[in-house]
Amino acid sequence: MIPVRATFEKRRRAKYISHLDLMRCMQRAFKRAGVPIWYTEGFNPHAYLMFPLALSLGYESGCECMDFRIDGDMSMQEAMERMNRVLPPDLQIVRVAEPVRKHTDIAFADYTVMLECADDTVPAEALRAAWDAFIAQPEILVEKKTKRGSAQVDVKAQAQILSAETSGNGLLLKLRMPAGTAVNVNPGLLTDAFTAALEQQHPEIRTGMLRAERTAIFCADGTPFA
Amino acid sequence: MNLFEQIEPLLLKVQKPARYIGGEMGSIIKDKSQIKARFAFCFPDRYDVGMSNLGMKILYSCINKRPEYWCERVFAPDTDFEALMREHHLPLYALESLEPVKDFDFIGFTLGYELCYTNIPNLLDLAGVPVWQKDRGESIAPIVCAGGSCVCNPEPIADFFDLFFLGEGEELDLEVMDLYVKMRDAGATRSEFLRAAAQIEGVYVPSLYRVTYKEDGTVDAVTPEEGIPATVRKRIISDFDAVEVPEDFVVPFSEIVHDRAVTEVLRGCIRGCRFCQAGFLYRPFREKSPEVICEQAKTLIENTGYDELSLCSLSTSDHSRIEEMMDGLLTFTENAHINLSLPSLRVDNFSTGLMNRLRRVRSSGLTFAPEAGTQRMRDVINKNVTEEELMRTCKIAFDAGQTSVKLYFMMGLPTETDDDIRGIIELAQRVVDMYYESERRPKGKPVQISCSVATFVPKPFTPFEFHPQDTREMIAHKQKILEEAVSGHKRIRASWHFPDSSILEAVLARGDRRLCQVIYGAWKRGAVFDAWSEHFRYDLWMEAFAEAGLNVEFYANRERSYDEVFPWDHIDYYVDKAFLIKENEKAKQAAVTPHCRAKCANCGVTKVTHKPCFPKS
Repeated sequence: MIPVRATFEKRRRAKYISHLDLMRCMQRAFKRAGVPIWYTEGFNPHAYLMFPLALSLGYESGCECMDFRIDGDMSMQEAMERMNRVLPPDLQIVRVAEPVRKHTDIAFADYTVMLECADDTVPAEALRAAWDAFIAQPEILVEKKTKRGSAQVDVKAQAQILSAETSGNGLLLKLRMPAGTAVNVNPGLLTDAFTAALEQQHPEIRTGMLRAERTAIFCADGTPFA
Repeated sequence: MNLFEQIEPLLLKVQKPARYIGGEMGSIIKDKSQIKARFAFCFPDRYDVGMSNLGMKILYSCINKRPEYWCERVFAPDTDFEALMREHHLPLYALESLEPVKDFDFIGFTLGYELCYTNIPNLLDLAGVPVWQKDRGESIAPIVCAGGSCVCNPEPIADFFDLFFLGEGEELDLEVMDLYVKMRDAGATRSEFLRAAAQIEGVYVPSLYRVTYKEDGTVDAVTPEEGIPATVRKRIISDFDAVEVPEDFVVPFSEIVHDRAVTEVLRGCIRGCRFCQAGFLYRPFREKSPEVICEQAKTLIENTGYDELSLCSLSTSDHSRIEEMMDGLLTFTENAHINLSLPSLRVDNFSTGLMNRLRRVRSSGLTFAPEAGTQRMRDVINKNVTEEELMRTCKIAFDAGQTSVKLYFMMGLPTETDDDIRGIIELAQRVVDMYYESERRPKGKPVQISCSVATFVPKPFTPFEFHPQDTREMIAHKQKILEEAVSGHKRIRASWHFPDSSILEAVLARGDRRLCQVIYGAWKRGAVFDAWSEHFRYDLWMEAFAEAGLNVEFYANRERSYDEVFPWDHIDYYVDKAFLIKENEKAKQAAVTPHCRAKCANCGVTKVTHKPCFPKS
């Protein structure tokens, strides 16, 4: 039995696959690929597949992880090649390795988010200036929906702004957000708060999220998760 | 022109965006520069319904096996996405290339139920293609066509289409595409192509036929243009065992209604139930050998990665070698963690041997269709199922640990009385009694019998095509009888529906060409997705009927005489009208007709096939 951690990309058409659907898609892909993965034992055996960190619908990523076990005579390299032949081109495994870190070690993740001005006549610099003013606030309180209702959180305290640059007619943000099983903060929480604040204060600058991508997943000590 | 950049910004604003972007495993992408003709296969309902349709999978595979043709999928966007598409001027596109449907050579609809008809003009409009055939001009593309069971009476939708494919499409569709490519390359116009296509058996070009009406509103005559066949006969494939079947499916990301591998085991039906249109339309009966079925199922499972396999047919237990077939399927499904499901089982040939094999399949409850509550009524409809057979089958199921059974019935059948309605609940009660008398029932568990009672819709090409549908008042009365009958029966649940959609279905099923205006009028008023109760707006339809000067009763509730010219009389589905008349007369006497394997009923099929459906052994 070989435990495997596969890192895969989720791009273009594949970014609309929900987390639940992704699980089913991978299970079927393993069957199509003829990769002998381990089934749980018990009354109702099912393919053992773990996704340490869910990705929001519509986000691209080059660093998604999936754990499984090969139950048979096949190398993890061959499993990857077989999977990539049956997976859609927008959903491809980029590397496989033995899992080292535990899922609970995941602490934060990096994202790039592209905000675009809806109106071409508004210069990107105006959007940039509005962002700088927004982020300079001492705290940014947002409603966060949880399983037990909703809570107010200071999203500014949780987000680390790695960079904010104009790009074309928009603003390219690089953000580091808490991630994992304990605390998980979606960068959309911050950008949605920004869009809402703009509507209030600068209705002339209409903006929306054009693209979002998760670029890396890290453990608390700053080392990459996989 | 790939529309990806325009589609993307809209997707996160709608429910289940994965339905609108394609890219699924098994979807076929080709190099456009190598393609001679493109076929947009439109299912006029939502993705999750259309992706479950086996006919679409079969034809998608057939067309795409030809390297020079490219078939793509198109579904009706849900109302939230449609609103955004219209707001942003995004035309209807196909899921493989993400290119506009209006640029395709063929736009082909599959029509399996009448209540999807308003989605036809809606999708054409969304595509930017003229809704009416007459407005499409002389440029040859796109050819708007349709197939599927509903086109046995294509008249209510005739004016929207260039041509119809009657019967089985596996060979026919390709012949028409071949002709199209040849004629287009020679510079033919739309009408030149349509005249030539009309000579192919199975192709009906409605614009080449003129319909005249009598003063009483019935059809006087359907007259073809010079040189066009007076009747159009459906096509069937030449060899069922050898026909191309899909070796792979497009496997969706999001959940669909029937999310599993499906293998067709037989086509047609030997039974001749007089209410059942499918039982007559798909004749003759043909079955695949267990070897071919197992081989095809295995390939499909390997290629799709599905963990569930279902068998498709009108009546699976009528396969002459079902136990052999089951043994073969179970051998590989059990080893490979595959669940096997068998819909469409009959109660009269449900053996213990079959049950024992079914017990190895994880079951989600059993459903049987006695269709009527009394033996007299079942004889009228030629269901050929006795109460003893139902009891025996339920007992086998109870002994095997089942505690619930679902029973399907109809109301509004010809000659039906109030006693026949009460008989539904009386029959269900006898099943309940039998459960508690059964020694081997699951101990300590109550039984639950669910009776689902649908409103009968008379359909073309059945012996009941002459019959009036029950009026709204009659149906309401019978539903009240049913309600009274079931009250106090704790272990029986009965369900039924408001009859509006069944009434509309009856109108559209046996309608004539004048209904095109009604469908158009209802759509213009906002009617779409009529099969979905949350969208169904009967009031819009009533307005459209009034505007067209037509009424529902004429189509739904009128007794038709044997010598009336029906709107579909120039369409030939192998079964003779004389046979249907004979069967209708037998129905009035509650006389049954044996199934085709026991005795040939001379329905007319062999006059075309020139061979008995069941060779004498």
